[in-house]
Amino acid sequence: MRGFARVFAFGLVLTFIAAACTSPSTTPSPTVAASSSASTRPHFDLATYQYSLQTKGKIRIGTQEDNPPFSVKNPATGKWDGFDVAYGREIAKAIFGDADDPDKYIEYVPVTSATRIPSLTDNKADVIIKTFTINDDRKKQIDFTDVYFRTGQRILVKKDNTTINEVADLAGKTVCAQRGSTSEQNISSATNNAARLLLLDSYPACLLALQQGQADAVSTDETILFGLVKQDANTKIVGKYFSTEPYGIGVKKSVGGDRTGFVDFLNRTQVAMITSGTWAKIYEQYISPVSFDKKRTPDD
Amino acid sequence: MPGGIAFEFPQLYFTGLWLTIQISVLGLLGALVLGTLVAVLRVSPIAPLGWIGAAYVEFFRNTPLVALLFFLFLGLPLIGLRFSTDTFENIFRAAAVGMGLYHGAYVAEVVRGGLLGVDRGQIEAARSLGLSYAQMLRYVQLPQTFRSVIPPLGNIGIALVKNTSLASTIGVAELLYAAEIVESRTFRAEEAFIAATLLYLVLTIPLGIAVNALERRMLVAR
Repeated sequence: MRGFARVFAFGLVLTFIAAACTSPSTTPSPTVAASSSASTRPHFDLATYQYSLQTKGKIRIGTQEDNPPFSVKNPATGKWDGFDVAYGREIAKAIFGDADDPDKYIEYVPVTSATRIPSLTDNKADVIIKTFTINDDRKKQIDFTDVYFRTGQRILVKKDNTTINEVADLAGKTVCAQRGSTSEQNISSATNNAARLLLLDSYPACLLALQQGQADAVSTDETILFGLVKQDANTKIVGKYFSTEPYGIGVKKSVGGDRTGFVDFLNRTQVAMITSGTWAKIYEQYISPVSFDKKRTPDD
Repeated sequence: MPGGIAFEFPQLYFTGLWLTIQISVLGLLGALVLGTLVAVLRVSPIAPLGWIGAAYVEFFRNTPLVALLFFLFLGLPLIGLRFSTDTFENIFRAAAVGMGLYHGAYVAEVVRGGLLGVDRGQIEAARSLGLSYAQMLRYVQLPQTFRSVIPPLGNIGIALVKNTSLASTIGVAELLYAAEIVESRTFRAEEAFIAATLLYLVLTIPLGIAVNALERRMLVAR
């Protein structure tokens, strides 16, 4: 059974590579259904970015194809799913009005940790919703919304591992994390560069390396580790939080007024999502199955 | 100065450059040896050997290099094989082996073309002088082949040097990896990648010049 799970996980990794290799622009561009939704459409000030998105009839959402439970692109159906994806659909509804299928207004732009900021600054995506930790260095490059999700970094090891219990135990060990992520930098600073970092492009690949003993531990935000434990019950999460990770939605900085009012709009949308219980609903749908808790706001 | 950022992070860039050189040299040697063997198989008069050679070329030429690297890194351990028990040694060797296997297919096609280009009369003359098939290959066909295929082999070598950047996807800390790490630390994306580009050029341009020089020296008038 475990052998099968490994082969399956390897197959998944290959599928993701294959998906990454094929042209990302093949997402069918949504067509504007002007007649049907014109009446339900929210009204925006003409100068705002959300107005220009509404006029264009689509929003480009940057997220990752293999980042469960936040964002996953189903390799078979091509359909996106996860907390970040559901959050993005709520934003699409707030701009284009209620729709049976908000995806018709969304163009998904696949990103990795390393390509998040460039895809905003190069204007390839309107928003990045991808477990994107807010920090001061990044704020110099781009704008963030208020915190929409809060977590911290912990450590994933095999169930029978007794030597790694806290972050200090990672010294001299091979630790897998995503290349270009804050997780990777947190491990370096928490261990004084004593951990040997195996930096790959995705956490499913890290999990495979852990299963094979090519990595002693995987370390990143707890919520992502939850998703990995769900995939492989032979792993466990250990240690206290050794970082706090407040996630925000990334937006290009407004230059010459080209993003006027957009961050404010996204923040208002989030407040509405929390008051209406939508935030709690998508938390329950995507995060509760792995965290076994419930939250009504990011700060619960 | 363009690329100056490399001197702010010498540990990353220059160890990265050194790894790139090592993988390139090992990969190139492997590709030349493998490719020549496969080419000889393909032109051999024994049909099944020809099929083996053709299967090799078609398999590796039609597989994405990234998928091959992932197979060598995370697929082989599923059947109990790995190049080293040390993870970092393992990914380094997987990268070198992957470069050799993949580019070996291209070398094989080039060398095969060279072998077929040797004048039929020379082969017949060698055989009629009493040379065995192996001796004929060794002393008549292969030496002439290598002289004629230097330019296309140079192309493959340059492509190989650039393709080593894909080793970063399996965690090898080569040049592109260095650029990605520096980019994520400093957010100076342009500088980080310009530095890597310049360092790749430092490898590929001299390689191109050397190949041209070699070609001129070995030129055969036909």
